[in-house]
Amino acid sequence: MAMNLSYMVRETGTNLKRNPTLTVASVLTIGVSLFLVGASLLLGDGAKNATRRFQGGVEVVVFLDPQISDAQRDSVGAFIDANPLVKKKSYVDKQAAYKEYKRLFKDSPDMISALSAKDLPTSFTVVPNDATIDSVEQLQSVLSQRPGVYRVEASTDAVRKIQRLSALLTTGLALTAVCLLAAALLLIINTIRMAALARRREIEVMKLVGATNWFIRVPFMLEGLAQGLVGAGLAAAGVFGLNRVFKDRLTTSSSSGITLLQSFVVDQSHVITTSILLLVIGVVISVVGSGFAVGRFVDV
Amino acid sequence: MLTSPAARAGEARQSALRPLSPLIAGRSALMIKLENVSKVFKGDVVALRNANCDIQKGEFVFLVGPSGSGKSTLIRLLNKEEQPNIGRIYVAGKDIGELSSWKVPFLRRNIGCVYQDYKLLTNKTVYENVAFALEVIGRPRHVIKTQVPAILELVGLAKKTKNRPDELSGGEQQRVSIARAFVNRPLILLADEPTGNLDPATSVGIMRLLDRINRTGTTVLMATHDRSIVDTMRRRVIELDRGAIVRDQARGVYE
Repeated sequence: MAMNLSYMVRETGTNLKRNPTLTVASVLTIGVSLFLVGASLLLGDGAKNATRRFQGGVEVVVFLDPQISDAQRDSVGAFIDANPLVKKKSYVDKQAAYKEYKRLFKDSPDMISALSAKDLPTSFTVVPNDATIDSVEQLQSVLSQRPGVYRVEASTDAVRKIQRLSALLTTGLALTAVCLLAAALLLIINTIRMAALARRREIEVMKLVGATNWFIRVPFMLEGLAQGLVGAGLAAAGVFGLNRVFKDRLTTSSSSGITLLQSFVVDQSHVITTSILLLVIGVVISVVGSGFAVGRFVDV
Repeated sequence: MLTSPAARAGEARQSALRPLSPLIAGRSALMIKLENVSKVFKGDVVALRNANCDIQKGEFVFLVGPSGSGKSTLIRLLNKEEQPNIGRIYVAGKDIGELSSWKVPFLRRNIGCVYQDYKLLTNKTVYENVAFALEVIGRPRHVIKTQVPAILELVGLAKKTKNRPDELSGGEQQRVSIARAFVNRPLILLADEPTGNLDPATSVGIMRLLDRINRTGTTVLMATHDRSIVDTMRRRVIELDRGAIVRDQARGVYE
């Protein structure tokens, strides 16, 4: 069937102008909710990046009993070397340990004077082959049962913490976003229903003279689509902006807490994919919502 | 009878453009056929009781009877706004009960409708009201540009095309509504008390217009309470009483 395109566009425009407050409300709700969806997706990506980066630097420190004999120490060393999970190891003697201790506590002279080099345990620093938490923990437990080993420490706890935190944040954001998306959907349905109600005389006449259901429905769905697209566009712009600000802030300042956050920066291609996804969600929600809203009015 | 040179010119232009309806393909002389049609609404309200009738192409039929006798229901059934509970309805040889819902609009393009309350769009001009009917069924712009002025000339509103409905008299508004119903050259024109809101003199003008439309070959079915119109026109009269057809008379009167 020949669809009169100019008619469709004109009608859509009229509809959008008819109720500016509701239109703006639904556009903003879609925008905000999709922005949150985008933000939670990017945060998830960032957390993945950060974990990967931290895992690159994961070391396992095997502290030895302070009274350990040289022979025992060598046997622990050999045991470490024999483990297939180990990439390389290095020995940290009492002097090296004391030097590190002094560096860590350089601001508190009391702590430094309280201990001397012979009080500190010697240790092996072990770099694992595979830095995933599971394999590091496995290595940790195998090594800690070896006689002569005092304690085994690994930075997996920090990674764990970051993962847990970002998972929590992502879930929270996603839940909020889902609630807001539902609100956006309902708002679109309401907006379109109001528009259809305002034009029920015209719809009645259209049915009377034999306009097809789709002909009646399409301008309303286009109206919904326009709202969805503008909202999703705002959200995409917001996501781009957020990533930009995040990146700029982080690269210009240099305190150590920030470098940790820097690992959360995601690359541009991720932002683009996320934005496209947001547009798709916006389109689907608005078309489905408006189609549903107007369905009741045009049934023959 | 409404034969100003302008109107004649308008008619000539339209007949040249007259579209061939897909439903006319059957070439059935029988335009409307009701077969044992009954319609019962919720709460056992019987609107139509076993109605049977045949209406030939080109006939002019009055549907008379007291309020609630089923006249409007019959009109709504023909338009497929309602479905009968029992029985079959044929329009131009087709059983409209078997029409799938997406085809209903195409049925309605062959049936013009005129109502007592005109059902005009108040925010549109006379021209736009009529053009709207063609626009929404996807007619191309050049067709609209020639058909709408022609039909407005036919109904005698060539000078008021830019007015809005609330600037017109009741009779003029009904003419706009007839123009809208007829602009697509339907096979059938259904009129549900078209003169119900009009004074007798104006009603006569409307009846002349409907008569004129009928003479182009369009089948007209008009529900009415207007005794003088029925008695003057002397056309076929179908009388309904509590949903049943109690009289079907070739050149009938109101009672």
